[in-house]
Amino acid sequence: MADATMLNVVLWLPFAGMLAIAVVPAGRDGFVRGLTFWTMVVQFFLAAMLYARFDPAAAGLQAATNVPWIADWGVSYAVGLDGYNILLVLLTAFLGPLVTAGAFSAITKQVKLFYAMVFLIQFAMLGTFLAQDLFLFYLFWEAMLIPMFLMIGIWGGERRIYATLKFFLYTAFGSILMLAAIIWLVWWQWKGTGALSFAFADLLKANVPVGAQFWLLGAFGISFAIKVPMVPLHTWLPDAHVEAPTAGSVILAGVLLKMGTYGFMKLGLPLFPDATRAAVPLLAALGTLSIVYGACLALVQTDIKKIIAYSSISHLGYVVLGLASLDLLGIQGAMMQMVSHGLVAAGLFLMVGMIYERCHTRELAAYGGLARVVPVYSVFFVILTLASVGLPTTSGFTGEFLVLMGAFNAAWKPAAVAIPIGAAVLAVTGVVLGALYMLWFAQRFLFGAERVPHGPVADLNLREKSILAILVAAVFWLGLFPDSAMKRTELAAREYQELVAGARAPAATKLTGAVPAEAAR
Amino acid sequence: MNFTAVSIAMAPEHLLLAGIVTLLILEIAADDSPAALPLSVLFVAAAAGAAAWLGFTGWTGAPFPGQFVLTPPAAFAKAIVLALAVPVLLMSKDDFGRGAFYPLLLSSLYGVCLLASAESFLTLFLGIELMSIPVYVLVLMGFRRPESAEAALKYLVLSGTASAAFLMGASLMYGSTGSLSLASFGAALSSPDLLARTAVVMVMSAFFLKAAIVPFHGWAPDAYEAASVPSTAYMAVLVKAGVLVAAARVFGTAHVAEPLVGLLAILPLASMVWGNLAAMRQAGLRRMVAYSSIAHAGYLFFAFLGDGPGRFQAVVFYLAAYGVMNILAFAALPWHAQDQERDRLENLKGLFHTHPFAALLIGMAMLSLAGIPPFPGFVAKFLIFKNVMSAGYATWAVLGLVGSYLGIYFYLRVIQFMFMSPREAASGHAPSRGIAMGASLLCLAGSILVAVLPASFLARL
Repeated sequence: MADATMLNVVLWLPFAGMLAIAVVPAGRDGFVRGLTFWTMVVQFFLAAMLYARFDPAAAGLQAATNVPWIADWGVSYAVGLDGYNILLVLLTAFLGPLVTAGAFSAITKQVKLFYAMVFLIQFAMLGTFLAQDLFLFYLFWEAMLIPMFLMIGIWGGERRIYATLKFFLYTAFGSILMLAAIIWLVWWQWKGTGALSFAFADLLKANVPVGAQFWLLGAFGISFAIKVPMVPLHTWLPDAHVEAPTAGSVILAGVLLKMGTYGFMKLGLPLFPDATRAAVPLLAALGTLSIVYGACLALVQTDIKKIIAYSSISHLGYVVLGLASLDLLGIQGAMMQMVSHGLVAAGLFLMVGMIYERCHTRELAAYGGLARVVPVYSVFFVILTLASVGLPTTSGFTGEFLVLMGAFNAAWKPAAVAIPIGAAVLAVTGVVLGALYMLWFAQRFLFGAERVPHGPVADLNLREKSILAILVAAVFWLGLFPDSAMKRTELAAREYQELVAGARAPAATKLTGAVPAEAAR
Repeated sequence: MNFTAVSIAMAPEHLLLAGIVTLLILEIAADDSPAALPLSVLFVAAAAGAAAWLGFTGWTGAPFPGQFVLTPPAAFAKAIVLALAVPVLLMSKDDFGRGAFYPLLLSSLYGVCLLASAESFLTLFLGIELMSIPVYVLVLMGFRRPESAEAALKYLVLSGTASAAFLMGASLMYGSTGSLSLASFGAALSSPDLLARTAVVMVMSAFFLKAAIVPFHGWAPDAYEAASVPSTAYMAVLVKAGVLVAAARVFGTAHVAEPLVGLLAILPLASMVWGNLAAMRQAGLRRMVAYSSIAHAGYLFFAFLGDGPGRFQAVVFYLAAYGVMNILAFAALPWHAQDQERDRLENLKGLFHTHPFAALLIGMAMLSLAGIPPFPGFVAKFLIFKNVMSAGYATWAVLGLVGSYLGIYFYLRVIQFMFMSPREAASGHAPSRGIAMGASLLCLAGSILVAVLPASFLARL
């Protein structure tokens, strides 16, 4: 199968799966679960093959498809893999089967609709990453909202309606601003060239006047910052996470939040380089604020899901800081951190879901001494906690370490724009705070006096063990052998750096040389 | 006047006329014959087919020069409007099924078709009246309580006022330019002459009143609530389409000059904001749709800020996307013996458990009306705001988009009721009727077509 065909299969397989679920007669829940799981598995293997075949030395798009769609407006169905999205596509495809398997026992009502929504959101997320046309990107971006809205609203907890409306309205507000900016940008591009086009490649050449860049960056930036979420636009996240069913939280933390940072990296910042350079100190400051503020809030939470929700805010702050550093190490670190957080947070949310299924409470004070009661669970929990803290050999270390290196590089010997040294220093204290809240959490949760709400509980079953083992293996793989991933993202990181920090000319053509070996190993 | 031109160019109108006459004869010959519904569907579908055929063959001509002109975009606009009428007719089976509903609806449709081809204020007025007068009766035909009569009267009086304002404007226009041709309106838009200016404002306020733009919107919620479901769908979609198509004909491709920009931007913007805010507080579906249609009229009039050439396209495309989804929602609405109960939004609670398919369809319609991609409502809204932005009114476009953001909540509330509430034991929905389901499937097919292949529509308008 040609790469482009395979990529389209990866993208459309979940959509086909959703249609297939629609025609399954009611009551065949087991069949629906199996169908979803195996479809996701096939999708993952196809995505993994694409990853393996991805040529790290080739600039530009690979496995690309480009078919005109709304010809009058210059909109095309353009999808393809590049260094920006390859890891995230793999991450999304990887989490798909795990999320599905994780929901087998938790979702017992309206099973058909649930797995249809899992398919739909998988489709929309992959589409957002793969789209190379702004119109298509926006369609997929918005399409993610609907399944998540239903997921939280139907299968969520007590205050699910409030949480889901807040999530939807928050995100939709950002989207409206982004839409206005998209229209303006395309109009400007059209005025300059006389041909309407939504292709990323054309828009990057649009030479937007500096004054307008600030407005547009503001509009795109707010939209992406809500999605990340960056402090102070983060308030929807804890509500959404707490009320969402486990699968919803996992998708939200694992993939959805990366949309914001991916958007910044692929679109928001490179499209408006002049404004971005001016905004770098602000971005770095907000990133650092998210790191520290998220960590401080995580420290004082009493709800175990909220701790992990706030830790997500903190961890994604590193990504923003890395992107703002405009330093190759920092950018590479940001990309690693996205994937690492996707794996670790997904694992932690799955584990919270597993204990919630057994004990029916998320109150941290209700638990204690789980290590003796559910030893296997505790081992996995400790591993994921340490990965979250950033222990060397786990994926968390690679990401955070590179980001901090990048931040200090950018502060001391700036290539383009300096970020405040204070931001870099504060970000390091964020690592300490991170260790503090996660380890303290693990200590209260797993050790001390034995307290198990709702009586004796069974340890993990085979399904749960397998899910976590696969996740943990991925965490270590990324921690021990980051090379395979980093060489695939390097050209994109350079391109991003050049687009934002360098001259205005699109840099893709200059990057075809061999990959130098200087990337941090 | 040439006979073949008249018979070919007006084929859709002729078919409607034939339908009206047949239905009237049927009404006289066999009182309340059940054949009225299939006959009217047949004639309307044939008229839609004829209009589409005229559009595809690119038939252009003016059988009555200066009064009635047919161009391919006009023919497609007629085809879209007539095609939208088919599901409205189908869903009327449970409410009417026979009787005077059908000839009245076809007469009103005749007026809508006339509007799409009108070239002078005379024909336009004829079309507006032909479209509106049967609707007063249609509102009353849902008579179940005293408020219906009151609402119909309110609608009659205010709509009559609009007609009077329109006539006044047309006569002032004639006084200042000496012509009743629609082209004179375009010239008057940029004319410094006070008489011409007044005429423009009169005509515009007539359109605003007919399309229920704030502050001329008071009649709409009452009339929509008083009418039966098919009549409400007809008013919300087809009458609105008629008025907007007429406005698009009047404005033509003329550029909207400065002092009018304010009028054309502020009132529609106020409609968006007020319509969306008021819709949040409604407990009845029809009142909610009424306020939402006030907001949608606001988006539609925003299209007139855009540059002339793309205006007709944007308006008709929006009407198609908005209409098909609105009718879809009404057609999928479960039947309830008591009309009041059928209307209550609260009664939609847990609909997904009892009628999953209907709930999915209504949910889709709500998201599309809210303008959430990838549904057709988004592409239509995008086109309008793109045109406004390209015309250089970036601030208005942003304000309009923010106004449309306000509309998301109450559509979501419907979805929340249907999907996220437990099954209500007392809601007592009867199973949907086959024919209404057919109507919603027809709309579904149409909306998928609009969503997947917007280019093929846009190219023809």
